[in-house]
Amino acid sequence: MAQISKSEEVLFAREQEVDNYTEQLPEIVTEKYLIFSSDSLMYGIKAEQVKDIITDYTITYVPHVPNYVKGVINLRGQIVPIVDIRLRLGKPDQNNFCGIVVDVEGSMVGILVDMVEQMVDVPLDAILPVPTSTSQAMVSGMCTLPDGNTMLELDCELLLHD
Amino acid sequence: MGDSILDMYLYETNTLLEQLDGILLTAEQADTFSEDSVNEIFRIMHTIKGSSAMMEFSSLMTVAHRIEDMFFIVREKGMDVVPEQTKPELFDMLFQAVDFFRGEIEKVENGDPLSQSIDNIVNKINSLIDKIQGNPAAPAEEAPAADESAPAAEAAAPAVSAVNQDYPYGIHAFFDEGSGMENLRAFMLINNVKDYCGDFICVPENVETDPSTSDIIADQGFFVWFRTADDRSSAIPGVKNAGSVREYQPVDAAKPAPAPAQEAPKSEAPAPAAQAPKAEAPAAKSAPAPAPAAGQQHAKESLISVNLSKLDQLLAVVSEIVITESMVTASPDLKGLRLDNFTKSARDLRKLTDDLQDVSMSLRMVPVSGTFQKMNRIVRDMSKKLGKKAKLTLIGEDTEVDKTIVDAIGDPIMHIVRNSMDHGLEENEADRVAAGKDPVGEVILSARHTGSEVIIEIKDDGQGVDLQAVLNKAIRQGLAQPDHEYSQKEILNFLMMPGFSTNTEVTEYSGRGVGMDVVKKNVADVGGTVSITSEWGKGMTTTLKIPLTMAIMDGMEVSVGDSMFTIPINSIQSSLKVTAKDVIHDPAQGEMVKIRDSFYPIIRAKDLFQMSQGYEKIEDGILMWVEAGEHSYCLFVDELIGEHQIVVKPLPNYVNSFGVKNYGITGCSILGDGSISIILDVINVYTAAHNIF
Repeated sequence: MAQISKSEEVLFAREQEVDNYTEQLPEIVTEKYLIFSSDSLMYGIKAEQVKDIITDYTITYVPHVPNYVKGVINLRGQIVPIVDIRLRLGKPDQNNFCGIVVDVEGSMVGILVDMVEQMVDVPLDAILPVPTSTSQAMVSGMCTLPDGNTMLELDCELLLHD
Repeated sequence: MGDSILDMYLYETNTLLEQLDGILLTAEQADTFSEDSVNEIFRIMHTIKGSSAMMEFSSLMTVAHRIEDMFFIVREKGMDVVPEQTKPELFDMLFQAVDFFRGEIEKVENGDPLSQSIDNIVNKINSLIDKIQGNPAAPAEEAPAADESAPAAEAAAPAVSAVNQDYPYGIHAFFDEGSGMENLRAFMLINNVKDYCGDFICVPENVETDPSTSDIIADQGFFVWFRTADDRSSAIPGVKNAGSVREYQPVDAAKPAPAPAQEAPKSEAPAPAAQAPKAEAPAAKSAPAPAPAAGQQHAKESLISVNLSKLDQLLAVVSEIVITESMVTASPDLKGLRLDNFTKSARDLRKLTDDLQDVSMSLRMVPVSGTFQKMNRIVRDMSKKLGKKAKLTLIGEDTEVDKTIVDAIGDPIMHIVRNSMDHGLEENEADRVAAGKDPVGEVILSARHTGSEVIIEIKDDGQGVDLQAVLNKAIRQGLAQPDHEYSQKEILNFLMMPGFSTNTEVTEYSGRGVGMDVVKKNVADVGGTVSITSEWGKGMTTTLKIPLTMAIMDGMEVSVGDSMFTIPINSIQSSLKVTAKDVIHDPAQGEMVKIRDSFYPIIRAKDLFQMSQGYEKIEDGILMWVEAGEHSYCLFVDELIGEHQIVVKPLPNYVNSFGVKNYGITGCSILGDGSISIILDVINVYTAAHNIF
């Protein structure tokens, strides 16, 4: 009985204890984040914004756009622009091919990243404001992950608008 | 639900107002109302009155009611009751009323409060009614009589339209033809509906006890009225499941008005015939314009209105099918295989998808007549205001174009027509007579198809463009260099530059500084071009060339490096191979080539689009000689891939936000193998190349 799970604990709790459990449970509001790395930093995007993770696609070059816009791809009939986050943040180029397609304000955008790491549940109150306000960083919040790394919450809207 | 009723109301009222405008213009030219048009106006006013009352737009209802009263008298006594000197007043009042309705409807559309002060217009109508009645020995009780007979007319149409105001949401059900005992079937239907909702009334009542209702139901259907739309929608399954129900449809109490309206043309079966001579009469006075409008009203009976977004959806799906079809039939897996049956089926499929595409495209096509008709009103109003006599001639108003295009060209055409009226036609009749022209100015509005484009011309026989004045102004505005020689074409192009307006004064109609440049932009937004030609003293012609449809077009695939580009077929003159010997250089490192006694600049796609791959040597690649608008040049690309029918997709807004449109990149399309090709806009490629090099 040592490994009794939480739900069973609730099930077997005595009447006066039940209140304790029901009060505690709704307090932790979490949000799923997709964690990816770019230039040795960990970034997180709200999972509900993520539409797809793509690895196999052909980028069509579009002339006369900034260098961080790699072009457009055909994602099941939809034309989706691809933004290389390294170049967008002024980091050195690297031939990335792993893309996360996110929905920003109703339109789809693909973001090229070094590697997609994992999904984590982040308690909303654990996301802290960024101390410096350099908009170039495109980060709207940060939080410490269970494994000790720090996740920077990527503001996709800022990524698209200067 | 409430919204859809409102939409219906707005659509219906707008359509009626347009009809009314057309009738009034015809009538004004003939200077009298034919019996048919009196009936028609009466009917329109009756409908507007009824539906406005239902929507609780009391100001609209009151005005419509008064006009209806007036036309009731005219209908009874004939047009002769209107004294000759009151006629202009009558027409002006009616036009004013149309504007009033339009204004109010616009307010409804925008959710603004309606104006309460309608006394002005109502008084005008009342005084007109007095004048009309005062003329013959019309008894004073005429007005109340009119009041009474209006509801009477309503009752004469399906009696069921007398609705309890508290139950405005109805279901109109018909039973299988010849099923017999309709009253009992109706009773069963009531029982069924009771399972879903208890609060309703039905027309006719007492079906279970009164067998004579059977005939009424068989004839006019059976109505169930609910208090709320929700009640109605919850009861629909009950109606659906009741036995022998042939068809049912939700109706709103606003409907009783349209019901007699639709009845009217039917009962007046000879009406179209009678209308024809009416239309001919003004036609003799060289106004063929309103004639088709009369025919149109009757054609409308078989039309349904569909939400445009549904058509867009349909078109999107069809586009996907077209792409997928070519992906399947041109699949690389099939290479080298001999598949007779497959090839045959694929050919059939191709034909069917082509048909499907044609049909779905045609759904979006509407005639330009609606837009053209509106210009009648503008010409009329302006010729009164400016004191210039003018007539408008419409040619080819049956020409059909895509709905989006019709919407986009409405304002530009209006602007150009206003320009023609304001600046084009001579200020004084004497000037026209002196120039040997008809004292009445003419504006000709024409539309026609040429293969893949629709061409709309707005032509006036006014004084034409004073090139020197335009040039002087352009120099003053800093648009032109004083010491440069400009061709006539170039000078006329200044008219379309932002901030250019030749009229020194700002008038009510034009000269606000926004002008032809906005026209040019609006037309360019739908992929079209504007050009102006003019002959001093003879008039001016503005030509809008607009691709017929934008969603699917024929394009030529070309490659540069590993990128694919699509050039619209209709702007391609030809393709040619040249050698370095043929290329002529100018001092600014520009390249040119001579084709049939003319020199054309060469634009290298590779350089323009800053691409890393692609041929350098002119011998390796191919020149595409293209022409659009004012420009003709050769685009140097690597290879010609072939002609395809492509579905135009817009580039993502994010990409567009970098202004790629200015570099001639208008959209893209997905090719059979799933790769993306970029669609080039020949004109902007030229301007971009000019700005860069």
